[in-house]
Amino acid sequence: MDLKQMGENLGLEPVEFADIVTLFVTTAESDIEKIRKGVLHKDALSVSEAAHSLKGSSGNLGFLQMSDVALTAEKKASENNLTGFEDMTRILTDHLNEIKTLLKQV
Amino acid sequence: MNSNNRLSILVVDDNPVNVKMLETCLAKEGYRVITALDGPSAREIVLREHPDLILLDIQMPEENGFDVIRSLKSKAATASIPVLFITGVSEIKAKLEGFELGAVDYITKPFETQEVIARVGLHLKLSIATNSLITSQAEKLKQITEAQVSLLTTPDQHPNANFGVHYIALQEAGGDFYEVLPITEEIYGYFIADFSGHDISTSYLTTSVKALLKQNCSPIYHPLESMKMINDVLVEILPAGKYLTANYVLLNRRKNQVTIISAGHPPVCYVPVDGAPELIELKGDVIGIFKDVLFGSKVIKVQKGDRLFLYTDGIIESLGQKIVWTEGAEKILTSCDAVRNVPIRQAPEAIFHHIRKGESPLEDDIVIVGFEI
Repeated sequence: MDLKQMGENLGLEPVEFADIVTLFVTTAESDIEKIRKGVLHKDALSVSEAAHSLKGSSGNLGFLQMSDVALTAEKKASENNLTGFEDMTRILTDHLNEIKTLLKQV
Repeated sequence: MNSNNRLSILVVDDNPVNVKMLETCLAKEGYRVITALDGPSAREIVLREHPDLILLDIQMPEENGFDVIRSLKSKAATASIPVLFITGVSEIKAKLEGFELGAVDYITKPFETQEVIARVGLHLKLSIATNSLITSQAEKLKQITEAQVSLLTTPDQHPNANFGVHYIALQEAGGDFYEVLPITEEIYGYFIADFSGHDISTSYLTTSVKALLKQNCSPIYHPLESMKMINDVLVEILPAGKYLTANYVLLNRRKNQVTIISAGHPPVCYVPVDGAPELIELKGDVIGIFKDVLFGSKVIKVQKGDRLFLYTDGIIESLGQKIVWTEGAEKILTSCDAVRNVPIRQAPEAIFHHIRKGESPLEDDIVIVGFEI
C-alpha cells in the first residue's frame, strides 16, 4: 500500500489524506470492536451495521482488502450467521495495524 | 447560495470518515460544505441553511435517508433542493425507492471522488438552470398580470356606465375578468367571467374574449345572440377542457330594463332602490364547450337608483371554511343591502370588506362589478 499514491488517486494532498486516514483508524477500531462484541453477544444486527460502516469507509479510501472482508462479514451477519468471525476480525485488525504503520511514515 | 455566491452542499452520513472525505474533496472544489451525522440533524440544518444540494446516505441508524428525503420533499421550503443518494452497489431496490421519493441521482459506494464531484457539479447546474427558468417564468406571468390589470376598463373611461369595480388578481395570469361595453349612449353591457384554470393561456384567451365582446355586443343583436356567437367561436379556439362561466347584463336606459344572460355563473344580485335585494337565479350552460348551448335569460324592469352586482365565486367560496357559493351567496344579499348608501363606485369594495371582514386569506381571484341605473 502506498498512502501517498492512494491520496493522489482521490485528488487529495498527502496531509489531507493522512488526516482522513487517521480518522479512519479511530472509527475502524471502533467498528471492529463492535463486530467483536456483537458476535460475543450474538447480536447479528449490530455486527451487520458495524461491518457495513467499515466496508464503506475502507472502500472509499481505497483499502479494498479490508472492504472485501467487511462485505463478507456484513453479508454473513445479515443472514444471521456469526461463524468465522474470529478469523475475519483478526484479518481486519492486521490490515488496520498495517495502515497505522504506514501512517506513521507519512 | 450564500452571500459570497459559494454553493453549499450538505453531506449526510453516519460514518465520519465518509463525511470527512467528501467534505475535503468538495471544499477543494470551492463549495461550502456542511455536514451532519444523522437524519434529525440533517433536517434541522436544511431548514436553517437551505443548502443548494444534499448528499444523503441511505443506510443510517434510527432515521435513514428515506425518512429524511420524505420529510424534505413534504415541505415547500425544502422540496426543490436536489438530493443525491449515497448507496451500496447492490442496493437496487433502494436506488429505485430513492428515485420514487424524489432523489435526482445516486452515487454508489465505494465512491470515486472525481465521480462525486462530477455528479454534484452536473446536478447543481441543472438545479440552477431550473430555478432560473422558474424565476423567468414567474416574472413573465407577473408582467402578464400587470398587463391584464392595465387593460381593465375603469369607471373613469365610461362615466355614463355608472359603475364601480373591485378587482383582485390573486394569482398570476388569473382567470377572472370583466368588461364594460358602451354599446350606445344609453345602452351598456356589463360582462363578468371566470375561466377554468389559471395558466398562461388564460391571459391570452381573456384578451380574445374581450375582442369577441366588442365585435358581437351591438344593438342589432339580442344579448342571447351575442353570447351564442361568442360561444361558437370559443368552442373552436379554446383548448380541450377549457371553458368559462359568465354573466352578461345589458342595460337599456331608454327602456328602463336590464337583460340578464347567465352561463353557469353565480347569480346576479339585483338591489331595487325601494325593495329587498334579490338573487336572479338562472340556469345556463357554460361557454366554450358545446355548440348547442342554452343560456339562462331574464328581463327585469328597473328604475333610477336600482343597482345590480355581478361577481365571481372567489368572494364567497372558501375552501378553508368549506363554504360553497350556493351557501355563500346569502352573504352577497346581506352585503349588497348593507352598502346601499355607499356611492356605486365604492360599493363593490365595500361589499368585499363587508363579506370578508378580514377573514381567512383569499384562495381565488375576486371581481365584483356593480352598476346603478
